Amino acid sequence: MKKLLAAASIALMALTGGAFADGHASYPERPVMLMVSYGAGGATDFQARIVTMTAGNEDALGMPIAIINKPGAGGRVGWNWFATQADADGYTLGAYNVPHFIAQSIEGGVEYSTENFEPIANWGADPAVFVVAADSEFNSMEDVVNYAKENPGKLTFSGAGLFVGHHIAALQLEKAAGVKLAYIPNNKGGAGAMKAVIAGEVLGGVNNLSDAFRAREAGNVKILGVFDLERNEFLEDVPTMKEQGFDIDNASVNFRGVMVPKGTPQGIIDKLAETVPAMFENARVAKRMKAGGSPMHIMTRDEVLEMWKAREETLKELLAGL
Amino acid sequence: MTELPRTQHIIASGLVAAVGIAVAYISYTQEPAEAFLFPRLISTVFVVLALWTFGKAVLGRTKVGNGLSRDAITNILPGLIVALIYIFWAAKALGFYTASTITFFILLSLYDPAPHGEARTWIKRALITAGFLAVMYGLFAQLLTVFTPKEILF
Amino acid sequence: MEFLAYMGDVFTPINFGLLLIGTIGGLILGATPGLSPTMAVALLIPFTFRLEPAQGLILLGAAYTSTVAGGAVSAILLKIPGAPANIATTLDGHTMAQKGQGARALQLSFLASAVGGVFGVLLLIFLTPVLAQWALAFGPSHLFWLAILGVTIIGSLDSSSVVKGLLSGCIGLWLATIGFDDIMGAQRFIFHDAVAGGINVIPALIGLFAIPQVITMFAKGRKRLDAEVIAVEKHPIGQAVGEVFRRKRALSIGTITGSIIGLIPGVGGQIAGLVAYDQTKKTSPEREKFGTGHSEGVIAAESANNAMVGPSLVPLLTLSIPGSPTAAVLLGGLLIHGIFPGSDLFDNYPDVAWTFINSMLIGQILMCIFGLYVAGLAARVAQVPNAVMAAVVLGLALFGSYSVQNSMGDVYVMMALGTGMYFLERFGFSAAPLVLGLILGPIAEANFIQGSMIANATSSMGEYFFSGTLNLVLIGIVVASIGYSLWMELRDKRYTTKDDAVLKEESLS
Repeated sequence: MKKLLAAASIALMALTGGAFADGHASYPERPVMLMVSYGAGGATDFQARIVTMTAGNEDALGMPIAIINKPGAGGRVGWNWFATQADADGYTLGAYNVPHFIAQSIEGGVEYSTENFEPIANWGADPAVFVVAADSEFNSMEDVVNYAKENPGKLTFSGAGLFVGHHIAALQLEKAAGVKLAYIPNNKGGAGAMKAVIAGEVLGGVNNLSDAFRAREAGNVKILGVFDLERNEFLEDVPTMKEQGFDIDNASVNFRGVMVPKGTPQGIIDKLAETVPAMFENARVAKRMKAGGSPMHIMTRDEVLEMWKAREETLKELLAGL
Repeated sequence: MTELPRTQHIIASGLVAAVGIAVAYISYTQEPAEAFLFPRLISTVFVVLALWTFGKAVLGRTKVGNGLSRDAITNILPGLIVALIYIFWAAKALGFYTASTITFFILLSLYDPAPHGEARTWIKRALITAGFLAVMYGLFAQLLTVFTPKEILF
Repeated sequence: MEFLAYMGDVFTPINFGLLLIGTIGGLILGATPGLSPTMAVALLIPFTFRLEPAQGLILLGAAYTSTVAGGAVSAILLKIPGAPANIATTLDGHTMAQKGQGARALQLSFLASAVGGVFGVLLLIFLTPVLAQWALAFGPSHLFWLAILGVTIIGSLDSSSVVKGLLSGCIGLWLATIGFDDIMGAQRFIFHDAVAGGINVIPALIGLFAIPQVITMFAKGRKRLDAEVIAVEKHPIGQAVGEVFRRKRALSIGTITGSIIGLIPGVGGQIAGLVAYDQTKKTSPEREKFGTGHSEGVIAAESANNAMVGPSLVPLLTLSIPGSPTAAVLLGGLLIHGIFPGSDLFDNYPDVAWTFINSMLIGQILMCIFGLYVAGLAARVAQVPNAVMAAVVLGLALFGSYSVQNSMGDVYVMMALGTGMYFLERFGFSAAPLVLGLILGPIAEANFIQGSMIANATSSMGEYFFSGTLNLVLIGIVVASIGYSLWMELRDKRYTTKDDAVLKEESLS
């Protein structure tokens, strides 16, 4: 009888999840899902597909990662889903974009904040840049600001939406230069905002460095400044905002990485935090990312936790005036 | 024609008008006002058109749509109930493939005209169900690797 | 004639093999409900990691072309449009299939697709620089007017009553506002968790078209079935070829409208088929036959939605701006190989650029050949007994709507909309205007808000929305379109009497 009970309990344990017994050593046992809160083809989606392409290798997770897109309202739809409905079993990962989700949680009306998510690792950092059409009369940020001073509120410039990195950069520029600008958010993301600049619908625009780099290669835009602390390796010739006399830090830089919902077992978080940064460092991943003009910036879980915290403070201050 | 379609038309257009009025009410009362600018515009047109339709239904001047006959309703009900249970409960609770198998078989039994008494009929129905599930599994689980909810079995 | 120099590259064994795989795979994926061309192309991206750039693009280009055409298969046979592009195809195509002319409908649709598609790619080859300027000409105010123009066709689309058509359109416009507001991020009309993310167009399409279909089959009951065995007519291909080219008006209106509309970033692909269908209907002497299985309807809709494929890539290839979601995915396919679309592409990688474009040209023809081959077989679907068909369509609707973004919420929305639509249809409302509202709502709203923000910063609203040649031309077309509908209504008594409507419905069911 004892034997039978023991056998039954072992069978039960095997059924309900051997994971509890062996500390998640066998994780992952099936393919993993990565939720991207932007549409297929966007910069986040594109990079997520590249950095996860080696997930199936034995030295990484040993299981493939499938990308699921949940686009809408600047990422709010996807992150709301991730915070409230995603299973915290380690098989549902999500891609985060900082400062977007933090700024949105400060603004309110969403069901997530940094409290609801556990970061795993960061893969990229895409600074915002200021672009104007190739035939524009503006050749430096000074020209732009002077125009804005003469025509307060009439300098129209596009960006990917409200409470995303581009909007933060726009707010920082207004504050640092002491001028009033007309920020026009686009509902089609960075690509739509870039089209508005090239077509001359607006006088300028804030956009992603990677997209702006491509547009400049195609001869369609001039890049006047980078919203970051240092110049970028893709654009050695473009000065930072600070170099041009505007006190702007890297608060608008778009950090992209992987996270899991709060409540995911610690054993799984630890395992992911260990394997995922190594997966990002794969040489094939780096080659593809570089070819696509996407700057990489790998950070571990601890570094990301710190970055989230610092960013939250800066953004609270910046958005308090709105 | 008979009175049945007329009453049905009044109920249907009345429901549509009620939805329209609710939408308009929410649009004009919710904040922030900028976000509800467009909903206000369309809900106004919505209400005007819905009331027009409702008025015509009350006057019996509706010209299109045949409503539902008693026969149609009795025919629809069993299938619709099975379909609603399938989509809103079984698919998630039992797993997509399990629920699909059961539903498929029930629907065949409900609507297939072949005589229920013969063994051949049942074998045929079971074979068609198995074939359909095999195609769905091959297409969605294998080819497209869609992760469907798996609760019981698969 | 630079493209001819690279024509040989398409026919190397590997490239041609990939072209075949892409075409056949695309047809299958396109015929699967729930898989829009965008998703189909995104699914294929991982396979291109290991291929040469040109090879990867051949696979993606062939898949894009044939998924758009493949969507017609489920639109005609099951009345489930695979993507918004195929909505107009259901209007006459499915009616033809119900009459046993499924083979004819499929043959016409693939032939018209090929004609439109080849024309579109030729435009891409010869007129790219001119077209690029045209694509950029549409700013927020123009896109707003274009969306309004789309709304004006709502009333005349597949509905015997203009008021109910417009009312259906309003319901669609309202459904489109559910969820987060795209620009402000405010929550609107979120009365249930399932709609918290807004209503996704693809599950909505599946529900609105497929579920009423299933319930209609239920309504026929168990006993009446023996009486209804549809005879599937064989239809020689030669006859179909003759018919497509005899319907010159439908073919040319479809092809030209599709090419022009397809070019406009962000709007194009989704409504090209519907606009072409509407224009053809308005200019046809047999306009009363539209909706009853008339071949012009199928030809116009399908030539338009494949004609849009070539021009929709113009903004991507010349300006590096993806004009449609599918183009954005193709951009990804180029970027992983370190190729930037734009002048760089044609200057430094002409082999890649031209092989890709050529493969789309050849792909159109291959798609047509395979499509015609399966048309005869696929048409037998009409003979599947009602009970089996209802169960199959219901299952496909579940799997298809779930697979769009792995969301049960989408599935619930699909079923709720579908069930509601069945009852609305019984009272003279129709699904096509409702879907058009759902698609055009966000375009009209976002462009109106962006336009008014720009207008407030620079000039006045009146000046921004009502001046400039393009604005005035579009406003002119809007006014003409409304005027035409009113005039037709007064002259022809567009309101069909109840008896006519009954007759029409009897002939359909």
